[in-house]
Amino acid sequence: MEVSTPRVIAIVVALLLLVTLPAWVGNPYYINVASQILFFAVFALALNVLVGYGGLVSLGHAGLFAVAGYTAALLLARGHGHLVADTVALAVTVLTAAIYAVLSLRATGIGFLMITLAIGQILWGVAYRWASLTNGDNGINVAARPAPFGLSLAGADGFYYLCLVVFLACLASMRMVVRSPFGASLRGTRDQERRMAALGYDVWTIRFWAFLLSGFWSGVAGLLFLYYNQFISPQIVALTTSAEALLMVISGGTATLLGPVVGAALVVIMKNVVSAYIVRWNMVLGIIFILIVSFMPEGLVPGSARLWAWARHRLRRGKSGVAAATPPAAAGEGGP
Amino acid sequence: MIALRVEGLEKAFDGLRVTRRVDLAVAAGERRLIIGPNGAGKTTLFNLITGEIAPDAGTIALFDTDITRKPVRARAHLGMARTYQIITLFGRDTLRHNVVLALLGLSRRRWNPLIDLARQHDLTEQADAALARVGLRHLAHRPLAETSYGERRRVEIAMALAQNPRVLLLDEPFAGLSIDERQDVNRLLLSIPRDVTVVMIEHNMDVALAFADKITLLHFGQVIVEGTRAEVVADPRTREVYLGH
Repeated sequence: MEVSTPRVIAIVVALLLLVTLPAWVGNPYYINVASQILFFAVFALALNVLVGYGGLVSLGHAGLFAVAGYTAALLLARGHGHLVADTVALAVTVLTAAIYAVLSLRATGIGFLMITLAIGQILWGVAYRWASLTNGDNGINVAARPAPFGLSLAGADGFYYLCLVVFLACLASMRMVVRSPFGASLRGTRDQERRMAALGYDVWTIRFWAFLLSGFWSGVAGLLFLYYNQFISPQIVALTTSAEALLMVISGGTATLLGPVVGAALVVIMKNVVSAYIVRWNMVLGIIFILIVSFMPEGLVPGSARLWAWARHRLRRGKSGVAAATPPAAAGEGGP
Repeated sequence: MIALRVEGLEKAFDGLRVTRRVDLAVAAGERRLIIGPNGAGKTTLFNLITGEIAPDAGTIALFDTDITRKPVRARAHLGMARTYQIITLFGRDTLRHNVVLALLGLSRRRWNPLIDLARQHDLTEQADAALARVGLRHLAHRPLAETSYGERRRVEIAMALAQNPRVLLLDEPFAGLSIDERQDVNRLLLSIPRDVTVVMIEHNMDVALAFADKITLLHFGQVIVEGTRAEVVADPRTREVYLGH
């Protein structure tokens, strides 16, 4: 697929805006909100591997997100360095993702969702009740953020740039995988599992590797969350975190690269910015989701692309004196 | 040389025996037609042969290799391809992508997450060649959802042929086609080289009988008549259970 000139311009402008964000935003609070958007976008992109490209809806991903955070926090509390703590945390998260996969890939659809939900709840129970290990409801504090190559991440600007680099790396890796033969195989298992097996594909193993990829990036997002808050508690392992991540993916648009990012921005802005002005922000968020599902069931990004194409079509037809009667069909995947 | 050998195959669902001690020996290069009334167990037999259903008893061999316990995907790698009675393709994708998926299925590249599929020009060329073989090269870029039923049938066959199978199982390839489309598909099937063994289930006797070297008649999961066209058509049991008089 060749990249069109408007798309290149849009990417360059977006990159420029992201790189210069601390300069034009100024207020550290909003820079921190931007950091949150970026690491939750990484989490949503990770979940999107399964939900969007694999057709496997997980409601237990908060467990993977938190396993990384808890493992790193426990190792740091025991005096290990950041590099060791983070490496081990990611390894443990990928191992946990493998256990998730072995247990949950026995089913698809509702069965898969229920198994992931159950595993997530078990991990929540461990975080909440195994107080001798996790410190229970009190959580675990992390004394300081790392300073890789002497670069300080203590301030809002430094941490934002760390999040930006990780986010761009995640986005690039997702793009590469989605466009690869493995990505095509994964989408094939989503659309026609039976046919894929008949064509020679090992459906289970394809889904297993997709789960590991999703687990790895969920762990990376979990580490950023830990360092952002310098604290982790059972709250982050709860079902609401998994549900929010799923809403980010669905509201933005599954099986797109930009959709989960837009969904993450929507949820984080509602929670951190709108909540300052509207007491019942949860209700507003709920209404927004209902509107999205009602009018853009494919999600904000593909839905906007569809409306944009319809508006352009209508404008052209209007110029030639014929009005377009109906919007075009919902946009397919492979878009932004 | 026997391409496909089935011996004593048995299958029951909740006590209902849908396949009863079926024996089948299809010679290499043969065109075998499997006929029978609705519910005779034809598609179940295909699903047993391809591994989508596990048999209760019996063995299946592909060119003398026992494949009875092999998973579906392994049978594809051993040279077995099939089409489905109900078309199962990738509607969101182009015709070319559908065929590329068939090619990737037998390629080690299917595991590669680091290369761009769109830049695998050899796969694209092979896919286009397979589409040309079924007369659809000019529609390679078109999404499958925007094609006719007959064109989708041909895409199914193109996907199966793209895998260079040794044994091709066709489940009602003429189902739902217009007279013109039937002729297209018939020409296509007649053009399949003899190094490919073809086993076909079909209700449309006009085209199917002309295609077959040998015919197997199934009834209530059992083989009741087997032989050449003339032998099967002349057999009174065929008239009784299939032709209705």
